[in-house]
Amino acid sequence: MNPLLSIKNLSKVYPSGVRALNNVSLDVAHGEFLVIIGLSGSGKTTLLRCLNRLTDPGGGEIYFDGARADQLTGPALNDLRRRVAMIFQTFNLVPRRSVIANVLAGRLGHVSVWKSLLGLFSETDRALAQHYLELVGIGEKANSRADQLSGGQQQRVAIARALCQQPKLLLADEPVASLDPATAHVVMDYLRKANRELGITVICNLHFLSLVREYATRVVALRAGEIVFQGHPSEINEDWFKQIYGEAAREVHVR
Amino acid sequence: MSAKRIIFDSVLFLYTLVLLAYGSTQLAIAFAPAPAFGLSDLVIDQEFFVRRFPEVVTGVGVLWALAALLAAFAYKLNLLTTGEILFPNRQRRPPAEANPHFLRSFWGLHLLFLFLATLAMSLQVTEASFYELFDREGLSGAWRLWLGLTHPNFSLLAKAITEAIETILIAFLATVIAIPVAFFLAFFCAKNIMNNRVAFPFYVLLRVFMNVSRSVEPLIWALIFTVWVGVGPFAGMLALTIHSIASLAKYYSEILEGVADGPIDGIRSTGANAVQVVWFAIVPQIILPYIGMTIYRWDTNVRMATVIGLVGGGGIGTLLIQYQGQAMWPEVGCIILVIAVIVWLMDLASAYVREALK
Ligand SMILES: Nc1ncnc2c1ncn2[C@@H]1O[C@H](COP(=O)(O)OP(=O)(O)OP(=O)(O)O)[C@@H](O)[C@H]1O
Ligand SMILES: [Mg+2]
Repeated sequence: MNPLLSIKNLSKVYPSGVRALNNVSLDVAHGEFLVIIGLSGSGKTTLLRCLNRLTDPGGGEIYFDGARADQLTGPALNDLRRRVAMIFQTFNLVPRRSVIANVLAGRLGHVSVWKSLLGLFSETDRALAQHYLELVGIGEKANSRADQLSGGQQQRVAIARALCQQPKLLLADEPVASLDPATAHVVMDYLRKANRELGITVICNLHFLSLVREYATRVVALRAGEIVFQGHPSEINEDWFKQIYGEAAREVHVR
Repeated sequence: MSAKRIIFDSVLFLYTLVLLAYGSTQLAIAFAPAPAFGLSDLVIDQEFFVRRFPEVVTGVGVLWALAALLAAFAYKLNLLTTGEILFPNRQRRPPAEANPHFLRSFWGLHLLFLFLATLAMSLQVTEASFYELFDREGLSGAWRLWLGLTHPNFSLLAKAITEAIETILIAFLATVIAIPVAFFLAFFCAKNIMNNRVAFPFYVLLRVFMNVSRSVEPLIWALIFTVWVGVGPFAGMLALTIHSIASLAKYYSEILEGVADGPIDGIRSTGANAVQVVWFAIVPQIILPYIGMTIYRWDTNVRMATVIGLVGGGGIGTLLIQYQGQAMWPEVGCIILVIAVIVWLMDLASAYVREALK
């Protein structure tokens, strides 16, 4: 079967002159839970943001679901973003709005613009939002203000918003980096649930190898914008670890 | 040697030299009999300044060069000047030595002298005089006025209130018309939105235009519009509208510049289009500060509309100037009372609402 996502020679140079990605080529199959690791500054965020075009890549090609994705503009680009959901390290919910309103925002790419501006979401859309909120276990928080939840709860709202888009691919940029270890596992479990039960392909940036070993079906390591390792998490031994993170690095464990 | 320090000191020294020149000629007039002095043509005063403006400009230029020399000289002497205090040269002087008592230091005495000399000059230029303040005839005039103001003629109350309502409505309409225009313009005045190369020159131009129209006082706009559309409330309303658009656009754009990027990324990543991003990610962040700012603007506009009325912009200000012109002080007293109450009420209400919106 064709890969869901195919990246060919992707490069990105920021206006500041930093070469964040250098000739990255990568295929992602349907149903994978792909984890990207690498030192801070190695280009993980840049890679994810190029995939849904929050950042414009400088060169190379991206094919998503059989169609070229790196040249899209206007409505076609919005349509790509609808199918490629994203969650962020800082959650990026809209403050001062209710949890359910935030989850409903996941439907923006599906409904007509003027209806959304008037707040005329259909009963189906509302039911869907409530359904995904319950899926991440915080159905009772529907009417709370989004900025008044804990970090872990906010990230679950963000997951619900992403699921509400009914995407094929879910990008997660260090989704648990600002959470405590126990909460991190809760959030990662919901990502795995989305992956296994809803069949959504996941690409996730992570820092902690213990989480990588637990959740990843495949690992890609970036170093200075280039892929230096691809394989199963169990293949990351001492030598590879030093290659990826540098000689002086030592592993931190998160339980 | 630090350029900032020399520039700063030279400007201070220049001012000192100008003060000395002005002061010495003023003292000469005061104490020397004019004929004996014989050079009254060269006495430096306001009239001299106006009459010989080109020479004055050249003179100031020469004096500035002199002042720069003095500043450099002070630096050679290692004097603790004001410039040295503000822009210290750490290598030359240990910090401990930089802090003698200010009355023992050069910069302290220098600033004290400048302050006292400026005070003396402003007293003289303002023609401040205890004689006029306590002049018998003047005092009795002020007393009559005071009596009138403290015994308002309340038969004018109904008229004053109607006019006050007109003023409030002028302010209201000006604010309401300004809101959508400012809302729209604010996006183009916000640096974080206009950050690409195509938009930036447009941003700079709009900013300059806004700053210029905002720095023109509404009073001046009112003068322009009374000529344009004739004396009356319409002219006042137009003047306030122009000024409100410029101020609101500036306030709004500052609020916009403080908007967090995270929620914008969040909404963009759902596939929302540009209009939806504005409505779902930006508007929720700005709506309350916008409302607070707008109410404050209306409140300010009521006060401004009153003043604009004085130059023919309609409303209670116009009523006030009519009765003031005829020296009908009890009537003026009534009008002032109404203005005070309304301004106070608006101020109170807007403060409460803004507090509640925080
Ligand atoms: N908006 C930007 N403008 C300029 N340079 C950037 C920008 N964003 C990232 N960079 C640079 O690109 C490189 C890769 O950054 P990126 O954020 O992709 O790394 P990362 O692997 O996500 O790091 P971290 O683990 O700290 O999140 C870094 O050197 C960074 O300084
Ligand atoms: Mg990152």
